[in-house]
Amino acid sequence: MNDRALPGPPGRVLLIEDEANIATAIAFILQRDGWQVWTHCDGATALDAVARHDPDVVVLDVMLPGKSGFDILGAIRSGAQKALPVLMLTAKGQARDRDRAEALGVNQFMTKPFSNSDLLAAVRALATTPATR
Amino acid sequence: MAKAVPTGARIRERRLGAKVAQAALAREAGISPSYLNLIEHDRRPIGGALLNRIADILAVPLAALSEDSDEAVVAALRAAGAAQGLRDDVLDEAAAIVRRHPDWAAAFVAQADSLAAQARTIEALSDRLTNDPTLADALHELLSTVSVVRSTAAILAQTPDIDRNWLGRFHANLDTDSRRLAEGAEAVVSYFDREDAGDGSGLLPAEIAARFLDGPVFDRLETDGIAAIPDLVAGLEDRVAAGLAGAALAEAARDAARLPAELVDAAETPEDLTEAAGGDLALVLRRLGRRKPGRGLVVCDAAGAILHRRVVPGFPLPVMGAGCPLWPLYEALSQPGRPLRVSLTTPDGARWRAHAVAHAEGAAGFDTPPVLRATMLLTRADTAPAAAGRPVGPSCRVCPRTGCTARREPSILSSSA
Repeated sequence: MNDRALPGPPGRVLLIEDEANIATAIAFILQRDGWQVWTHCDGATALDAVARHDPDVVVLDVMLPGKSGFDILGAIRSGAQKALPVLMLTAKGQARDRDRAEALGVNQFMTKPFSNSDLLAAVRALATTPATR
Repeated sequence: MAKAVPTGARIRERRLGAKVAQAALAREAGISPSYLNLIEHDRRPIGGALLNRIADILAVPLAALSEDSDEAVVAALRAAGAAQGLRDDVLDEAAAIVRRHPDWAAAFVAQADSLAAQARTIEALSDRLTNDPTLADALHELLSTVSVVRSTAAILAQTPDIDRNWLGRFHANLDTDSRRLAEGAEAVVSYFDREDAGDGSGLLPAEIAARFLDGPVFDRLETDGIAAIPDLVAGLEDRVAAGLAGAALAEAARDAARLPAELVDAAETPEDLTEAAGGDLALVLRRLGRRKPGRGLVVCDAAGAILHRRVVPGFPLPVMGAGCPLWPLYEALSQPGRPLRVSLTTPDGARWRAHAVAHAEGAAGFDTPPVLRATMLLTRADTAPAAAGRPVGPSCRVCPRTGCTARREPSILSSSA
């Protein structure tokens, strides 16, 4: 998988999202705010990307090819990077999705469609939350 | 007081007035001309779904075909008033209002009926959102596309000095996703259009079978038995739905053979039939529920999922999933073999009597758990004392009650529920 890295502090974000156009928009929003962003579109290899890039925050879609966002979140929480802040995105927005994500230890949950400023604020808050890493 | 004109005679009078042949009305109503003839001469009882269907075909209000139309309007007016929280002494004025202002009373009742119908529609759509993977996928696609359009448009609006390459890329994305959005919206709209067309496409097999069984399909089983089933389900194109409906009809046909119609028609309460049914109370409840006008029936499995139902006006029953946790139906599951008789009050203030019993299906085995089923018969009980009824609802999603400790999910009818 050829992950694309966009340079600059204040931190590093791994965006795991299979919808190319939404990934482009989110990456642009974060990059404009100064974040270094990798985008990754495949669920099956997402954990390798997490290990390789060692990001400060993961933005994770629920519905992904290969492996669901829930599976990836569960694997992160039981692996070496278990304290990694994760922001989960879903178009479903149903209570049971949120409940499942919270049970797996998600840090924040947002439903599509979201506002760009809310997304940015959420990533900033996660990166500065004490004792998350 | 003049003797009320029987329902059958009212149907005949309206049919002749509309210049509709008996055979044509029978065909549209899904019954034989000879059966309609018996109804019109009051030699067969009629009510429930069949009477509703005939009223629809003849384009007359249901009350116009009812023997006791004034009483029906008074009861409906009381129920509509109770749903709005009117005091008992005000509700007692319903009969006087119907006498003095019949048109206003009918309009008020029609409005209440319309609201109830909308609640049922909301529940059906809500059921579909939860259970239909096709629709869930279509809505997921729509929301994903809306996200792209919203985020991209906001970037363009808030970044006046955006690089030309990015500008071109976002314009192209907007073009692609706005088309995708239009196609997705059209797909969802056409899904519901098929619904409106009534051809059943887009429905789950269980929904198609439930709608089919809501119609007048059980009457033929009384005379023709199981042999009538292939003909009855022949119109169902969905094979899974036909299988589900056929299984329900087969059970009804076996029931009809075990407990003849004349005994059921002569009975008023389950107790009247217990001996004739050899003590099989579930059989008694099913027969009364499917045959007697003004009765409702619900059968569920051990998980609480509704398997069969017969809808009765005033007591909405979900097509799939589970109903109100406070129904005696579920209480019966925890004590198989023990019959329950419980007075109920629905959110509109109407009073009901519920008979429920659970039993094990099939032969028992040492290594297999019993397959339990529970059956509940609903009978309107307007003369029962109001205070005695257990407060119940249809299902949480469309129940307006507040402060219910049994609630498992918020109501879509009230944000405070």
